[in-house]
Amino acid sequence: MKNRNKQSENITISNNSFNKKMQEKLVVLFLIVLLAFAGLSVKLISITRDNGEQYKKQVLSQQQYESITIPYKRGDILDAKGNKLATSEKVYNLVLDCKNMNAKEGSVDATMAALKSCFSDFDEGAAREYLAANPTSQYYVTLKQLTYDEIAPFEEMAANTKDNPLISGVWFEEEYKRVYPNNEMACDLIGFTGKDNNGSYGLEQYYNSVLNGVDGREYGYLNDDETLERTTVPAIDGYNIVTTIDGNIQQITEKYLYQYNEDHKNNARDGNGANNVGCIIMDVNNGDILAMAGYPCFDLNDTKNTERLIGSKFVGEDGKVAYDAEIITAENMDELLATDEDVYRNLNNLWKNYCISTTYEPGSVAKPFTVAAGLESGKMSGNELYTCNGQLHVGDHDIKCHNYKTGGDGTLSVGEAIEKSCNVCLMLMGKQIGKTTFLEYQEKFNFGLKTNIDLFGEARTNTLVFNDKNMGETELATSTFGQGFNVTMIQMITAFSSLVNGGKYYEPHVVKKITAADGSVVQNITPRVLKQTVSAQTSSKIIEYCNGVVTNGTGKTARPAGYAIGGKTGTAETIPRDKINYVVSFMGYAPANNPQIAIYVVVDRPNAVFQDDAKYATKIVRDILTEVLPYMNIYMTEPLSDSEREELESLSITIKQANISEEETQTEEETEQIETDENGEIDARGGDVTSSTPLSDEDMQSDNADTAPLTGAVLNEQNGLGVLEDTGNDPR
Amino acid sequence: MTQDKRRRIGGYVDYSLIFIIIVLLGFGLIMVYSTSSYEASVSSKLQNDAAFYLKKQMFATLVGLIMMILVSVIPYHFWERFAGWGYIVSIILILLVLTPLGIEANGARRWLNLGISVQPAEIAKLAMILFLASFVCKLGNNIRHRKGFLFVLCAPVPICLLVWLITDNMSSAIIIFAIAFIMLFVASPEYKRFAAIVISVVALGTLLIFVIAKAGAGGGFGFRGARILAWLNPEAYSSGTGFQTLQALYAIGSGGIFGKGLGQSTQKLGFIPEAQNDMIFSIICEELGLFGGICIILLFILMLWRLMIIANNAPDLFGGLLVVGVMGHISVQVLLNVAVVTNTIPNTGISLPFISYGGTSVMFLLIELGLVFSVARSIEFKD
Repeated sequence: MKNRNKQSENITISNNSFNKKMQEKLVVLFLIVLLAFAGLSVKLISITRDNGEQYKKQVLSQQQYESITIPYKRGDILDAKGNKLATSEKVYNLVLDCKNMNAKEGSVDATMAALKSCFSDFDEGAAREYLAANPTSQYYVTLKQLTYDEIAPFEEMAANTKDNPLISGVWFEEEYKRVYPNNEMACDLIGFTGKDNNGSYGLEQYYNSVLNGVDGREYGYLNDDETLERTTVPAIDGYNIVTTIDGNIQQITEKYLYQYNEDHKNNARDGNGANNVGCIIMDVNNGDILAMAGYPCFDLNDTKNTERLIGSKFVGEDGKVAYDAEIITAENMDELLATDEDVYRNLNNLWKNYCISTTYEPGSVAKPFTVAAGLESGKMSGNELYTCNGQLHVGDHDIKCHNYKTGGDGTLSVGEAIEKSCNVCLMLMGKQIGKTTFLEYQEKFNFGLKTNIDLFGEARTNTLVFNDKNMGETELATSTFGQGFNVTMIQMITAFSSLVNGGKYYEPHVVKKITAADGSVVQNITPRVLKQTVSAQTSSKIIEYCNGVVTNGTGKTARPAGYAIGGKTGTAETIPRDKINYVVSFMGYAPANNPQIAIYVVVDRPNAVFQDDAKYATKIVRDILTEVLPYMNIYMTEPLSDSEREELESLSITIKQANISEEETQTEEETEQIETDENGEIDARGGDVTSSTPLSDEDMQSDNADTAPLTGAVLNEQNGLGVLEDTGNDPR
Repeated sequence: MTQDKRRRIGGYVDYSLIFIIIVLLGFGLIMVYSTSSYEASVSSKLQNDAAFYLKKQMFATLVGLIMMILVSVIPYHFWERFAGWGYIVSIILILLVLTPLGIEANGARRWLNLGISVQPAEIAKLAMILFLASFVCKLGNNIRHRKGFLFVLCAPVPICLLVWLITDNMSSAIIIFAIAFIMLFVASPEYKRFAAIVISVVALGTLLIFVIAKAGAGGGFGFRGARILAWLNPEAYSSGTGFQTLQALYAIGSGGIFGKGLGQSTQKLGFIPEAQNDMIFSIICEELGLFGGICIILLFILMLWRLMIIANNAPDLFGGLLVVGVMGHISVQVLLNVAVVTNTIPNTGISLPFISYGGTSVMFLLIELGLVFSVARSIEFKD
């Protein structure tokens, strides 16, 4: 450099030259520029030194390394056939990023126009107002829970940057929405889940933690070099639960509970056909709940709809339904449900599962248990004869039999006592059995204990049964025919199943399998035998007596066309004991000779002038079994009358019978079967069925090994899906 | 020996200046790619081509280098006869912007479509240098008089006004005027007049800023008023006018002494819009730190120093003034650019010579340097 300078000095200067003065001024200029550069360098240094840390943080803070939650999908609830009872659908919230939208000229108008054209619900006015008031806001949810189909047109529009270069500042936040494809179906059993993924009632609450998964996260973090990296931890979806519920059986059950209500509402009094109607169908050989339903019910997709309360009795401020409680009607609803508290108290009552949460005195359906206790303990031989004069003096009371007015039933065998449901005979048996043994068997039958069914909200009954201390002579007497102690429906049917299946007490359960989101099995829930309540001999005795109830006794009206079943009716006085209010019920099983399923229907205070008639329950049982038994491929064993045949035909039920004597009938049956097949099969409710897969004879034989010999005719195996999807025209 | 060789080849060749130019151009290309690749790669308008801007800039640079070499071998006096024409042509070109030949981009009509897009303001800068050099030569000693002085001072005004009013490009107008001012400063033996002008401009400017600051956002001074307000308090206007400036400051501040490393800028990822343009210096500071930023400043100082040496040894006044004009052009633009980026002056769009993205700018700068080399070639060594 120095060398170069020396050279420069040696350069000649011509006329009209860049003279010394100019050279001097140029140096001055250079120095001024240098000074300015020095100044700017100082400024640069000061920015880095004084604000470096602050700006570093600023830069980091404006990066999107705050985490974004990736929602997990709550598991599905499936019926035994794999149909969805509850599922979670991905939905999208429309979010406006005002800052982004405002960044580009014309972007707001273009985006608003696009949104308006794609979303009919989009409120442009409100959005613009918000945009003006919060120009830097980056999160403003305008529309919630849109389906993919709804957002697809806009996504397409925005992706086409050639034609719509100005659309910006809109994104979709993902979320899951709980959806119940069948609306009311199995509402009490399933329960429901709100936005927070917290289940309420039923399976949703009981299996809440199983159904829930773990949220994923997308987040940025600073690595060792303080540069930003983004990582995604995927969400872990919740497990699915496969229930033992058969969607078709459930639907048939609900259809007839609904029909009962339609037939009896506003009859003797205003309102529903009964305070409550409940029905449980259980597989007696493993404790599987096949159906569990109650009425009134509610729509799982619209749980807070108070219209569903119309017809129910008003739940008072103490949380109880008073005997003289007002019926909620469309007119008085606003007045009665004045506060949120009132609304929720009543809704809670609606939401709870009558079949497991409500306790009541079972009445005569308890009689088979008394007899079983006597036979099993050896206190009774089964050959005893008892005499009924219409009433029995126990302690300080005269306890009347239901046939008091006609002077009693006379002398009855044990079987006849059950058939006729004679209270006096049962009281005499109770005396014979004795308090200690009776209580011992009460506990064996699990009365007073929870069944531990896998549903939320099972009632405790431990204080609602007698114990050694508080059971006197009278209490023992009334207990023999099911008055004085309280039970839940699930307790009754579970214990009853053990009476008719050879004595095995299975823990009742609704879920049979837990699967992961990818379909792999996480857990198989196998049937659990908790205890042996009675011996096989006692069991067959009880079956014999209960078959008599349907063939000769009080339960005749429960028998479905073509089948032999057994069971026991119940007509229980309830509080107030005014001989007006009754809980009527029927608890039965089918088929009679080899029980496969148990069914229990309870009608709590039927809407009738005279409530003490078990027919309210037996009618429901009959209707349900008429459809359910053929559906379950259980063969008919009984001859059909013409009217029964008509009834079955009107229900489009294919008649298939075990090979019984009447040859003619059978041939007819077969022809009929073929015809139906050719015409394309029609499901039980007359809706279209997409497909059907008849079971092979082999299948049938292995299923019903005991009911040999069988005809080749087979009932249409309903495609579960086809029926379930039929809910559009709700049979109820 | 070496001196003899040089003379035989054709005069003095300033190798250090060549070296500086190549370093600046190469570094500029790297930084254009670093700053533009992300935005280009996410822009479907550019076919997601990360090297889109790089390619265009490389092309302009190559063309510019060829033109520089061509101009450098042509004796610079050749151009003297075109000085007046250049002045007129640049006025015509500026007016052409108003015709359909004009191209509007980013809300301003500043470009001309002459096969390639050209910014007339850049041409005007070169034309102004040429015109003033020739004009001052013609004036001779008259420049010492007030009349001559005012003549020279007023010569750029028409072009400046046209650039400002027609292409709405105040920064280019200021630069053109500043070039003329600097050439006049060197050519005139005066100091007082210049001091008076500078002081009065500064005083007026301060007064104006004071008035605008008092009037506040609703003062009716348009976007320039808003820029001045944002300059005074960038945080208060962080979402609007001050956004770019503030983000540039964040970039500089977060770079630290040695920066985040080449290509590691986070501010270029959408926070500084079009970071390859005027705000490229802030990204340089973010990625290469204070060290990198000051190195660039030093490179420019070196370049200006070389230009000063050449001017001081120019064989005649015309050549000397040409080099002074180029030196003025580069120094003003670098100073203003760095000043904007560091929020020393209000935000106005000035690119960083040789480094910022912009084809016309780099081409004309290289042509100007071609003139410089041409002047340098005419330097004769004393025996």
